[in-house]
Formats: sequence, structure tokens, C-alpha cells
Amino acid sequence: MALASELPAQSDRWATFANTLRKRAFRSPSDSFTSVFIFGLMLYMAWTMIDWAILSAVWRAEDVENCANTGGACWSVIAARHRLILFGLYPFEEHWRSTLACLAIVATVVLSCLPRFWSTSRLITLWIVGFGAYVVLMDGRLIGQPVVTTDQWGGLALTLFMFSAVVLLGMPLGLLLALARRSKLPVVRGAASLLIDFIRSLPLLTTLFAAAVVIPLLLPDWLNGDKIWRVIVGFALFFACYQAEVFRGGFQAIPKGQFEAGKALGLTPFQTLSRIVMPQVFRHALPSTINMVVVTFKETAIVIIIGFFDVLASANAAFGTVEWAPYYIEVYAFVGAIYWIFIFSLSQYGEYLKARMAVAKR
Amino acid sequence: MATNFAKIACAVAFAAGVAAPVTAAAKSSTVTAIEERGTLLCSGHNGSYFGFVEVNDKNEWKGLDIDMCRALTTAILGDPDKAQIVPLSWAQRFPALQSGDVDVIIKATGWTMGRDTEVGLQFSLPYFFGGTQFMAHGDLGITEAKELDGGTICVEAGTTIERLAGNYLKTIGIEHTMVSYEKASELRAAYLANRCDAFAAWGPFLAVLRATELEKPDAHIILSDQLSNEPIAAAMRQGDEEFVDMVNWMIAALLIAEEEGVTSANVEEMASNPPNPKIARLLGVDPGMGERLGIRDTWAKEMIAAVGNFGEIYDRNLGEGSPYKLERGLNNLWSHGGVLYAPILD
Repeated sequence: MALASELPAQSDRWATFANTLRKRAFRSPSDSFTSVFIFGLMLYMAWTMIDWAILSAVWRAEDVENCANTGGACWSVIAARHRLILFGLYPFEEHWRSTLACLAIVATVVLSCLPRFWSTSRLITLWIVGFGAYVVLMDGRLIGQPVVTTDQWGGLALTLFMFSAVVLLGMPLGLLLALARRSKLPVVRGAASLLIDFIRSLPLLTTLFAAAVVIPLLLPDWLNGDKIWRVIVGFALFFACYQAEVFRGGFQAIPKGQFEAGKALGLTPFQTLSRIVMPQVFRHALPSTINMVVVTFKETAIVIIIGFFDVLASANAAFGTVEWAPYYIEVYAFVGAIYWIFIFSLSQYGEYLKARMAVAKR
Repeated sequence: MATNFAKIACAVAFAAGVAAPVTAAAKSSTVTAIEERGTLLCSGHNGSYFGFVEVNDKNEWKGLDIDMCRALTTAILGDPDKAQIVPLSWAQRFPALQSGDVDVIIKATGWTMGRDTEVGLQFSLPYFFGGTQFMAHGDLGITEAKELDGGTICVEAGTTIERLAGNYLKTIGIEHTMVSYEKASELRAAYLANRCDAFAAWGPFLAVLRATELEKPDAHIILSDQLSNEPIAAAMRQGDEEFVDMVNWMIAALLIAEEEGVTSANVEEMASNPPNPKIARLLGVDPGMGERLGIRDTWAKEMIAAVGNFGEIYDRNLGEGSPYKLERGLNNLWSHGGVLYAPILD
């Protein structure tokens, strides 16, 4: 008996599954009816979806005349306009530069996610190299290529850049704000609290609108910089203020005794913080941090309101001509898939981090 | 300082969605700034506005408004490619103009009293006329707005159309529910999904939508009511009359060229052998055209060679040469039954 249960044969497993199914889904006639109905409905939806997206779809840009007849998806619009969606208004001949720049940003983000790079010096080097490469490639001035000004940056290239710049600037800034809020000096503590509460009381849209439109009226011309940098700084500040509160939650979870124990062992306050407290803060704050990062990725779409040609804006432009106007669903599906890939990867990375950090708990 | 404060107040008021009175003081000439910069900053769109601002397969801007901007750029800088199109949303266009992000707004913008006074804009001659109309599902079997009683009307949020449609229906005593959408594509989807019986929009936009509705172009009817006839004009910051003159005469030159039969094809020939004194003046053969605006005498010639006259611009983007095949109608020259006319070139 014991042996049989340790080595269940294929048919046994099937029997167990059938048994569970019978108990869970087909216990009574009404149960059976509901199960069959819902399962059938799901099958039907899946089939319609597959039929629309793959079987009856038109794929090539030249075949667009067939689109009106087949009833399937018209992926021709993606074939013809994907470069607009990915790179916005970036000049057509220079797309190799924006492609490389995109890869540089993705590589920077992926590498900074690897534990191997988790030291201050390595991270800072990586970020300077990665973002430097992006800006140099996109701008083109320093590598002797035609200059492309920031108002022509767009599409996925812009979304990725804004997102990673906001998170990478905002994360350390958030940590600083969280530490400042715990400071023993009343002025530092007060200023940090005021800033955090002030920014958190404003909607993101107002913050960005102010950064894009109001700040240029306040600052002298030479300090203005490009709209894109102002918006990134404004967005990063917004992110930092929320992230500071996430970190504060992490700090509050640390018993006071640990600080005292650190002091008793003769550690400096900095050592206590960096060796004992911070690793735990990061662990406590991890789920909310991943959440913040994912939300920020989606929120980058708000920059459309202040006239940035992000991936959603260029998607709007992609179906914004007569020949492609009827196929907006395909364009939105494509952009949705792009968002999904990035956000799903982010949340999977979060799961990996959680598993990794759980080692400390064992 | 006071000027700055007024401008900030204006931008802040816009952020909050209300308008504040503004008096903009004189600034240095916009034309000089454009010449120093070497580019002219024009308004684009954060997406696409059919026929007026679109992006082609090569990621380049095109459309009626873009061509008007390229015409102005050629007039001032001699090269249409020096136009720099800054993507702007509808809500952002006026603050962006005030803060200097753009030199001029050429973005299907109607000339209203509020914009002219409170918002502190200065408008050019109208270069396009478009009225607000209703489009309804054909199967309702109606032809005018009187028959819309109890219906649901969709509009785009934050435009003049929203207020206009409400006022109009109230005036003719029609009970209705108004639903507003942020984006034209949402509005379109809502209407096609039968969430509204009719929707109010700009006449040209309705025609464009109907033309692009591949499946059943006849299943929709544009109601006969003309709610308005809105003059569309270029908008500039107040306080730079010289720049307003420049834009006005850019538009005038495009119209005079069409009136006199000067096209991008025959402009060189006309310039070498001008058939009448007006054309000679227009194309800079006789001096005066540029001097009085502080630029080159041949600006109109270069402009027409680069983008064509107004008729060519219209045909290429909205008319016979475009997929929209929109009738000239009101947008024809006065001599052809339209309402477009140029001031006198002396």
C-alpha cells in the first residue's frame, strides 16, 4: 500500500483528477450544468479570440485590402506602423540609434536587477554608462550623427527611458527622504515631512503639468533645461515621496532593540543602519516597492497630456490616418502586449527577490 | 516681474481649468527669436487629428495645419524643414504658447472671444471654416436635431463643441443626456457601440469619420443643423503685432496666390515673367513684400514653391488629392462661393 501511494501510476493520477472534478464540478445536476455552461463559454471565447487574432488574421502590410473581408485581426497596421509605435517621431533613418538606445536601457535595468551588481560603486557606474549611452545615442551630438532633439524622442524608447530614469532617481531619493524623516534634527525631519506630504497631496498630473509648463515661467532661461528633464525630475520627486513612505513602513517594522543592540556592540550609527537595519527594511518594503514600480510603469502614460509622444501617444498616431483608422483595436492590443510583457517581467522579478530574501528567514 | 506673474497666473489657471484675465506686455520680436534659433516651433498633436495633424509611415508630420506651419517657416526661414513640430495636447496648447514652448499655435483652434481676451491670445486671419454638426445613426431615420428628443448625445470633453451642443439643444427645447469623452477615438467607439444616439463634432471631423467608416458609410447621417461656423485661425501671444502681421500676410499670400493662379508648379515661370503687377509684387519681383515685414522680398515665392498655394494645401490634405475628399464648400475663395478672402495687396 505504502509503495503504491509513493509511486502513483499515470492512470491513478487521472483517477484522482477525475474524482476531484466529479466532487468539485459535477456534484449535482445544477453544478454540472453551470460547469458545462461556463466551460463552454470559456472555450467559445478562447476560440473566438484565437480565430480573430491568428487564424483569420491578415499579417502583411501589403494585404491590407483583405482586412475588411476576413473579419479577423488586421496586423497589417502593426507591420506598417510598428516603427512609429516603438520610436514615435524619431527620424526614420536614425532608428538604429533608438534601437540601440532601447537595448542599452533594458540592459541597464536587467543588469541592475542582478545581485552581482548590488554594490554602490557598481550600480552607479552601470547607471552612468547605461543612461549615458542612451542619451548619447538618442541625441547623436557626441557621436557625430545628426542631432535629434528631445521633442522628437518618442514611443517605447521614451516610455522605457522615462520609467527607468524615474525609478532609478526616485529610489535613492526616496530612501534619503525616509532617512531624513527619521532624523533627530527637527529642521531636517520637518522639511522632509513637509515635502513628502506636500507632493503626496498633489495629483501626479498637476505635478507633471507644473514641471512642464509652470516651472519655465519661474526659472531663468539658462536653468530651464529641456522639458523632458524637468518632467523626469518632477516625476522622480513624486515617486520618491511615495517610496519614502514605503520605506518608512519598513523602518517601523524594526524593533527599537536592534538599534540599541547595535550601539551596545560598539557599531557606529552608519554601520547599524547599513549592516543591520537596511537589509531588513528592504525586505519588509519589497512587496510595496514592486507595486510602486509597476504602477509607475503604467503611470508613464500620463505624460501624453503634457505632449510627450510616449508609446500610447504614438499608438494613437499610428491609427490616426485614414487607411489605418479602422484598426485601432489591433494597435491597442499590440501596445497592451508591450505593457504586459514589461509589467509581467517586473512582477516575476519581484517574486524571485522575495524567494531570495526569504533565505534570511529560514 | 509683473509680466511673469501674470503669465504664471495664466498657466496655473489653466492647470486648474479656469481662465484668468491676463495682460501680456510687449516682448522682443518673435520673428527675431525664430531667426536666431534657426527653427520655428509649431504645435503638433499628442496623437493624430485627421486631416490636420497626422503622422505618416515615415514618422513624419503631415496635414493641413502642418503645411500651414511649414509655409510660415519657409516664409521666415526659407526652408520648410526648419519647422519644429512640438507635440501638444489640446489642454496644453495655450500654456505652452505662453511659456514659449511654441511660437505659434496652428492646431484647428477656433477664434473665440474668451481666448482672444482672457487667455491673452492674438488671432490671425481665419484660414479655415468648420461648423459644429450632429451625426446620428441612419436607422433612427432622422434628419434634424429637433427629432433627437430624449436622446443621448456624446461630445469630446473640454472643447467649444461641448458647450455649443448643450446650448443649441436647450434653445430648441430638446431633452437630452450629454456624455463627454476625453479622446476622439473613445467618442467614436462609444458612438459605434450605440452608447449614444448622436454625437456632436466638428463638421470636417464627422465627414472624415464617415469616410473612414469602411463597413457602412451610408449608415450614418450628418444632421442638417449648422450649430456654428467656427473660424479657425493661428493663435499667437499678445503683444507682438509684427509677428501677427507676418502670419496674416503668410495666409494672405497663400490665398492671393490661389486667386491669381500661382502654383508650386508655375511659380518660377511667373516670377521670371510676371503677368500683372500684383503677381510681381507678391513674388518679390517688385520690392515691398518682404521689406515691410522685415524679411526677404522673395519669401512668398519661396513659400509657394515649397508648399504650394492654399488650394494646393487644401487638396493635398483634405480635398480631392486626399483620402477624405472633403468639398471645399465654405473654404473656397470668395470668387468660388466660399468665404476665404485676402486683404488688399498694395
